[in-house]
Amino acid sequence: MAGNRLEKNRDGTNKDIKTACIFILPLLALIFLFILVPVIGTFINSLFQDVSFLDKRFIFLKNFQQLFVDSGFRQALRFTLLFILVSVPLEIVLGTVFALLMNADVPLRGLLRACVLIPWAIPAAISARTWELIYNYSYGLANFIFTELGVTGWPVNWLGTSLGAFGAVVVADVWKTTPFVAIIVLAGLQAVPKELISQAKADGANLLQIFFKINLPLIKPVIIVTLLFRTIDGLRVFDMIYVLTGGGPGGQTTTISHYAYKYFLSGDFGYGSAASVVLFVVAFSLSVIYVKLGRFETGQI
Amino acid sequence: MAYPIRKKHIVTDLFILLLVVCLTAFCGCEKKPVKDITFAVGGAPAELDFWQELIAQFEHQSGIKVDLLRQPTDTDLRRRGLVTSLRSKKANPDVFLMDVAWLAQFAASGWLEPLAGYMQSSQLDSEVFFQKVLNLADKYNGRLVALPVYVDGGVLYYRKDLFEGFNIKEPPELWLDFVKQAVMVQKETRKTNPDFYGFLWQGAQYEGLVCNWLEFTGSKGGGIVLEGPDIIINTEANTQATQFMYDLIHRFEISPPNTYTEMKEEEVRLAFQQGNALFERNWPYAWALHQAEDSPVKGNVGVAPLPRFADGESTSTLGGWHIGISKYSDEKQKSFEFMEFILSYDTQKKLALTLGWNPGRSDVYTDAEVIEKLPHFVSLKSVFENLRPRPNLPYYTLLSEVIQRYVSSVLSGNLGVKEALSEAEKEAQKIVTKYGRE
Repeated sequence: MAGNRLEKNRDGTNKDIKTACIFILPLLALIFLFILVPVIGTFINSLFQDVSFLDKRFIFLKNFQQLFVDSGFRQALRFTLLFILVSVPLEIVLGTVFALLMNADVPLRGLLRACVLIPWAIPAAISARTWELIYNYSYGLANFIFTELGVTGWPVNWLGTSLGAFGAVVVADVWKTTPFVAIIVLAGLQAVPKELISQAKADGANLLQIFFKINLPLIKPVIIVTLLFRTIDGLRVFDMIYVLTGGGPGGQTTTISHYAYKYFLSGDFGYGSAASVVLFVVAFSLSVIYVKLGRFETGQI
Repeated sequence: MAYPIRKKHIVTDLFILLLVVCLTAFCGCEKKPVKDITFAVGGAPAELDFWQELIAQFEHQSGIKVDLLRQPTDTDLRRRGLVTSLRSKKANPDVFLMDVAWLAQFAASGWLEPLAGYMQSSQLDSEVFFQKVLNLADKYNGRLVALPVYVDGGVLYYRKDLFEGFNIKEPPELWLDFVKQAVMVQKETRKTNPDFYGFLWQGAQYEGLVCNWLEFTGSKGGGIVLEGPDIIINTEANTQATQFMYDLIHRFEISPPNTYTEMKEEEVRLAFQQGNALFERNWPYAWALHQAEDSPVKGNVGVAPLPRFADGESTSTLGGWHIGISKYSDEKQKSFEFMEFILSYDTQKKLALTLGWNPGRSDVYTDAEVIEKLPHFVSLKSVFENLRPRPNLPYYTLLSEVIQRYVSSVLSGNLGVKEALSEAEKEAQKIVTKYGRE
């Protein structure tokens, strides 16, 4: 059948490719218009002194030069990287555990799946407000539990120390995005042939062995795709942290996108663009690494 | 053929797609009444209702149609909306309110229409406004670009009933007495109310922290000094005042530990209003709310100037919102007429009586009806004549960001005062050098 089609294509008109082009063209146009144009625009902008109250002029890489000696930006970069380094692995592990639970034959499985999805369905700004109420020093739920139940005996200022604020932000983010990981991994688990598992059971493998020897290798590509999504999402995180801590205390939870945003607001569009370009480059290189990793794994299976 | 795709189908599909796109596009243009000008303003629902009411009155009087562009309450979001449309040179909105902290940025960017020409042929006399506010905030390089709709300045609220109970005669003039009174009252009141604190102020990492910091440093004779190409922040006065802010939380413990994480205007106001503090630093808007029917401290609140150190003067940071016209507006004359209406005696009086806000016109403060309903206006007038502005620089918000970050580091105990101020000065200097050449 396929060979047949190729045969036909050889004589000039090349119908299938033409059709494919027509179908792909709108998508390419959209990508060009809504992704490529802004990205290139930001790149160009980052090479200019583009401040609303100064003359616009070409300064080549000076914005980047300043970025790398800017302690505020370095702090933001460090925090953002540390943030994904801690929260993404946690989300992947927890999400996989949830997926395994949801995949198991338990009663009320449908309800469980629906419940797990709730945090993911709530807009980030709203869940950040909810967490703010939990962490609040004077009337927050966390302090209520800690003091009333006598765990500490005194209220804790959760968002007041760098470690506390970091932990608080990570917990909130893990709570919100674990369901996303769980759903994708669940889809991967459901594609694992049942016969393989029953065969393994018959051979006397225990649950851990089944997971590590059968499930995990088979869902690895799925996990890598999830990892990719979560890493990029984590790099450009804004709303959750912006609402929860406002970047404090002392700028210790300021993300790169928050930092760039501040400069846009202050009218320095060139510098803000340069910060965004750095974010883009980091995200892009990580994506390339993941994609390479993913290919290698699928090739092995 | 396994997948017969005919050209005809594609054409039909594309046609349908086109139809859908067109339909959605047309749905976007709802039928709106023909408008002359667009006015952008944000705020709480009650405030927006008030503006809507004013607009209806203006439309009736002048025959000019005004479209209200509703903005959020959050100051940063309001600024973002305006920066986006002004940068893209949109004619809409024509006229809008601006926070005093961004006036210089907007003016230096050339986004604001100079008002001198309009003022000449207008009944509106610039003499009726607080002259200091006009000179320090509304003029940029000597050119009038905005006018104050309402002014703000930090004041000290105190609990009159607790003052009587502890035999304190009048609000303290010096921080020294202030701390003594707060420590004593807090210690005693804690026995019945464990949530009670001596003093609440705005210490979270945001613009309000800089306003508070300028008041503390100002009351010690310090502040931000610009000398030619240099910016000076790391001074002895600023060090001691910043140390005092730290001490309020960590040494005297009269301000709660969440001061530097959570305390913004509303958090402070609510805690004070619930009866959980002796002193409160806030803007004048809190007065009307403290005196509202449902307020537990109604009738027990006094207003005073903020205390000072022995070698400084009581300082209050200039805040407030100003009205200006977009350079890109195509209805500038009508926009100015709307401005005249907003700044008229009657409207400004209504602003005071309805919302309890402090008008930009100083002549309203002597109005008999206003004084009867808002007796604290008498003492506010003297506060407003002596306000300290934030540096009137187009890149002020970037300086503010640096100060926020370092003062917050001090309050959270991450950096020592000396180190923080010297780092802040270095970074601020970089900003001044980068943006400061004109």
